[in-house]
Amino acid sequence: MKAAVVGCGAVGARVARQLLALSTVDEVILRDSVTPRARSVARALGDSACVDEGVTFDLPLVDVVVLATPPETHLQFARSAVRRGMSVVSITDAIEDVQLLLSLSDDARAAGVSVVVGAGFCPGLSCILARFGAERFDVVDEIHVAKFGTGGPACARQHHRALSGAALDWRDGAWVRRRGGSGRELLWFPEPVAARDCYRAALADALLLQPSFPAATRITSRMSATRRDRMTAGFPMLRPPHPEGRTGAVRVELRGRREGTHEVSVIGVTEPTAVGAAAVAATAAAWTIAERFPAGATGLAAVVEPRAFLVDLMERGIRVFSFDGRPRRVV
Amino acid sequence: MPRPVLTIVRRALTALGLAGLVAAALRIRGTGGVPPQSGGWRELTKADIEP
Repeated sequence: MKAAVVGCGAVGARVARQLLALSTVDEVILRDSVTPRARSVARALGDSACVDEGVTFDLPLVDVVVLATPPETHLQFARSAVRRGMSVVSITDAIEDVQLLLSLSDDARAAGVSVVVGAGFCPGLSCILARFGAERFDVVDEIHVAKFGTGGPACARQHHRALSGAALDWRDGAWVRRRGGSGRELLWFPEPVAARDCYRAALADALLLQPSFPAATRITSRMSATRRDRMTAGFPMLRPPHPEGRTGAVRVELRGRREGTHEVSVIGVTEPTAVGAAAVAATAAAWTIAERFPAGATGLAAVVEPRAFLVDLMERGIRVFSFDGRPRRVV
Repeated sequence: MPRPVLTIVRRALTALGLAGLVAAALRIRGTGGVPPQSGGWRELTKADIEP
């Protein structure tokens, strides 16, 4: 089988490496807007990786295309791939990209291919954790997603834009737009990230989760930010982002009912963001190659079997945590 | 000092004193429950997750 990875940054390079580690993938074709960067990654990966120096959105024929580029180019690559009968895994986390990619569903079904949308850290891992956590409930009433940290420079720029954009929350059966940077909430992530102030932002998690949880009355997403982040959110980034963010984290809090009682479940992951995103994207690509996803364009929450997917992620080194706060009884 | 002012001061001091007594009683005798002292994030194993 052949795979293509578009975007050879912090996430894309790792996805390519993980794909080549699969017994089912013989060759990975790399594409990047900066061709020398793709060549450098290909050299590091060995003979099974090669570089495509094309300049259009048409890629060589492969079995799956992983899109790890900055937002706003995913639709063109995905549309071209679907038209030519190739499945797509996109790690985009921009609301507009997600909406546009989901609109390819009819075309993807007609072509018999799958388009997995938002298969990164958040959304992506957040969708899988939500599906996994939901299994303990009879009815899920609320889902609240939060993330901390960024991957490569493109992710950091998107993080910056998201804080000044409009958040999209699902509330009582309707979408509600709220101002980014509002709604401060102190949330606990697995160690070593611990407690962080989180705010509303233009994140796509709610958009991808809502179809899988039609009974939920509230679905929200927040991301951590500092006072400086909030103050400078409306301006261009004042300094170039780091080559790669350090530790990242995602937590999913579910509130629901089980056997007539209200319960809360919190599940989280702490990993470097690019590592977590690459693991999710590579696993999604492997499942796509194995034809474990139906034809159409959806988020992971709608198509994934969460326990099996999480086991695959754990085999890639991802550690999953559950929050278990038990009050001590005084006797 | 005029008599009405003294009355206000006396009542204010009495109110503060009573509030202090009530607060002290609640602080010492109150049973507000014990916040979580154990638990926290627990790493899930494959056995917790496997179908």
